[in-house]
Amino acid sequence: MSNRRLLVFNILRGVAAIMLALAVAAVFIFLTSKEPLTAMKYLLLGPLVSFKATGLVFNSTGLFTILAAMIPTIFTGLAVCVMFSANQFNLAGEGVVMLGGFVGALCGIYLKINSPLHPVVCVLVAAAVGGVIMLIPALLKVKLGASEMVTSLMLNYIIMFVVLHFLNYNFADRTKGSTQTYPILDTARIPEIIANGTKLTWGFVIAIIFVVLVALFMYRTKWGYAIRMIGINQSFAKYSGMQVGAMIVLSQVIGGVLSGMGGSIEVLGRFNSFLWKELPGYGWAGITIAILAKNNPIFVPFAAFFIAYLNKGCQQMATYSDVPSEMIDIIQAAIFLFFAAEQFLAKYRQKIVVKNTQMDLANQAKAAANAEGGSH
Amino acid sequence: MEQEDFVVQMKGISKVYPNGIAANQHVDFFVRKGEIHALMGENGAGKSTLMKILFGLEEPTDGEIIVNGEQVHLTSPSVAISKGIGMVHQHFMLVPSLTVAENIVLGMAPKKSGIIVDYKKAVEITEENAKRFNLLVDPNAKVMDIPVGMKQKVEILKALVRGARILILDEPTAVLTTQETGELFKELVSLKEQGFTIVFISHKLNEIKQITDRLTIMRNGKSMGVYETAGISEAEISRLMVGRDVVLSVQKEKSKPEGSVLKVRDLEYTNKWNKKVLDGVSFSVRRGEILGIAGVEGNGQRELVEMLFSLNVPDAGTATVNGENILQTEQRAIREKGVSLVPEDRMVYGIAGPATIEENVISDRYSKKQFNKGALFNVKGIHSESDHLIADYRILCKSRKQQVKMLSGGNIQKVVVARELSSKPKLIIADQPTRGIDVGATEFIRAKIVELSRAGAAVLLVSADLNEVIELSDSLIVMYGGKIVAYFDDTSQLDDMVMGEYMLGLKHQTDEEIRRVCYE
Ligand SMILES: Nc1ncnc2c1ncn2[C@@H]1O[C@H](COP(=O)(O)OP(=O)(O)OP(=O)(O)O)[C@@H](O)[C@H]1O
Ligand SMILES: [Mg+2]
Repeated sequence: MSNRRLLVFNILRGVAAIMLALAVAAVFIFLTSKEPLTAMKYLLLGPLVSFKATGLVFNSTGLFTILAAMIPTIFTGLAVCVMFSANQFNLAGEGVVMLGGFVGALCGIYLKINSPLHPVVCVLVAAAVGGVIMLIPALLKVKLGASEMVTSLMLNYIIMFVVLHFLNYNFADRTKGSTQTYPILDTARIPEIIANGTKLTWGFVIAIIFVVLVALFMYRTKWGYAIRMIGINQSFAKYSGMQVGAMIVLSQVIGGVLSGMGGSIEVLGRFNSFLWKELPGYGWAGITIAILAKNNPIFVPFAAFFIAYLNKGCQQMATYSDVPSEMIDIIQAAIFLFFAAEQFLAKYRQKIVVKNTQMDLANQAKAAANAEGGSH
Repeated sequence: MEQEDFVVQMKGISKVYPNGIAANQHVDFFVRKGEIHALMGENGAGKSTLMKILFGLEEPTDGEIIVNGEQVHLTSPSVAISKGIGMVHQHFMLVPSLTVAENIVLGMAPKKSGIIVDYKKAVEITEENAKRFNLLVDPNAKVMDIPVGMKQKVEILKALVRGARILILDEPTAVLTTQETGELFKELVSLKEQGFTIVFISHKLNEIKQITDRLTIMRNGKSMGVYETAGISEAEISRLMVGRDVVLSVQKEKSKPEGSVLKVRDLEYTNKWNKKVLDGVSFSVRRGEILGIAGVEGNGQRELVEMLFSLNVPDAGTATVNGENILQTEQRAIREKGVSLVPEDRMVYGIAGPATIEENVISDRYSKKQFNKGALFNVKGIHSESDHLIADYRILCKSRKQQVKMLSGGNIQKVVVARELSSKPKLIIADQPTRGIDVGATEFIRAKIVELSRAGAAVLLVSADLNEVIELSDSLIVMYGGKIVAYFDDTSQLDDMVMGEYMLGLKHQTDEEIRRVCYE
């Protein structure tokens, strides 16, 4: 059967889902806005296009900014993919990103390593701390049966207040007007790929490398396999002899490592010092992304791009028109609905399949007839 | 053509699944009013698919359906139900945590003042219908606590309560003991006498001969014709289904057992309803021998198997494999000792439905050296392993990448059996190994079990199918009320009647005789 047609179909289906969602958004915009066309223009094109008097001009800075915005969310998206694959609804990615950023920044401020290894060390420490902290919900789940969803959700706020406490009382730079740490040493900064101020750092390359690594891990290693099987049917995994408890812990530790990395890479790449005063939201975005990517690491960058594009479009729309940026929630919800609806366009898909199969059957019959004819 | 009294006419039905499998190809299927009509065919022939179409669960790609003379479009089960069609599925569709009564009224629940489900009413409905159709069930028991035989009745009642006049039963006897089957058949015949029409799927030829009036045979998604049951022999049926002659009697040389592999001593277990389910169970299974466990379901067999795979914890007693304890340990450790298990309920333990066939057959061996290259999987090795198993065990599928849940029921069972028998086991615990498997594949699996035992494996066989235990086992124990009540060290002279008496607890051997099964 020609799988290519089905692949094309699946891509078209995704595009159609997005179009429909945007159509829903358009309805809302037309209902609420006095200048709907301007709003739509900025929402759809704003992220990548500048509107000049001479016409539309492709805006490469816009593209760089979008790619830069994907760096932390690719990491959190991957983290959630791994944890959700094991059927562990751990939501602490959000807090761990903040913690990772904080720890990474401290390493960048206080560790004096005068070599390109400095940021590497910072990120590794942040990753390790992220992994360790995820042991809390993981072990509570495995040893005591506590719901990881509840404990991880609470963990987010504990992490936030602990980080803020240390930031305020131990590490704040009192010479600054707002609460922030001392500046991160230059040696610890993650440089931009092209120095153009868009913050598209080498972190992006690392993120893409991790997409490949996590995909390999999930689909080409025994651990990833065990994690996925546990997520599908835990009784089956146990009966098959898999180490269910260990794998549940492992999946969440990996989630923590990835989130911690994402946070530290973001802070070391984007800021001069650590200055988050609330949860940064990348963890939540990671959940959205993982769901859009159907827990498949390979799709994470695409989903992350899409979310980043949408965010930027909404910002632009809010800046240049009267539509509030909250519109993004409505659009996201609509896209979710169409993406998640398995049956969306199923009729059309079925037609393709039937056609393919009938062709196959006809070919088989012909081949059989030929074979018979030949033997006479 | 002479006008006959057909309740169901399915004409030229084709079905292509979303994965491109043509499960039905121009199938004609006509059922007369008030008959018991069998639908037969190998695993994956398309029987369940055809019935799912008739029940509105799957939409046909082509063809028309006429029910009671009226052309219908069965777009959903509720439409089918409104046309008087009811179905009992191959895999149970009950909610285990709800009571029997709740399950029966599920989705049509009688409401008290609109919102609150009226439980009393539900029990009333259940009792009334149970009496009317002579299907005795306990309305207040939770479904998870009742034996499969009763679950089957609940499923049937569920369909009848919804007004079904045409009843589709997809392999209703696969999970039943001989006694339960007998009881079910009485009930079916009485339903037929009351004017109900029954479509009956089964792989057991003797059952088909026993209660059906006509039969339709399917092969590879096509109909091979419809026959009067009285006018066709079992051999002919299987030839039409399989395309060759099938020998179901097992050819095996006499076993030469030596040295115990599994030793179970004084196993005790009282379940949470304070019922003593295992009461001092002791036996041994020796190398090269197949020890069968016969017994009516619910006499401790299931719990015994659970204990032996550490899926449950006994109150007292020991069990060792080659001298090493297997109680209350990890399944990994048990498997490392060379124990494999074909579980009774394939859907719970046996498979991960949304995963591929390949992922399912390697679940017990994926961490072995031969399937790994450094940190990564040895993809080639895994592919060749799964392709081998698919070919060896004749799993009907498109490719190793097909999701297991999209296989036919019998082929799902083959996936489980393929994995469990191919791990070079020293002890095979096979709980209903051929459940739902067609005659051809049953022959093959039985031969495989014999082959493994003759090559030195110890086999513990639990089966509700009395013929199977007697034919396949070298020696046999009978369980009743959580105890071993008889031991036969040679099955070649056994007859059903004697066995029946032991199984029903009417007779038991002396302790001395029973103790002979404890070899050192
Ligand atoms: N949901 C599904 N999606 C895709 N293919 C399916 C699905 N269900 C069944 N099939 C395929 O359709 C074919 C017929 O399956 P079906 O379940 O009708 O067989 P069956 O005759 O009931 O077999 P069995 O005796 O094993 O129950 C099989 O090849 C199976 O793999
Ligand atoms: Mg079936």
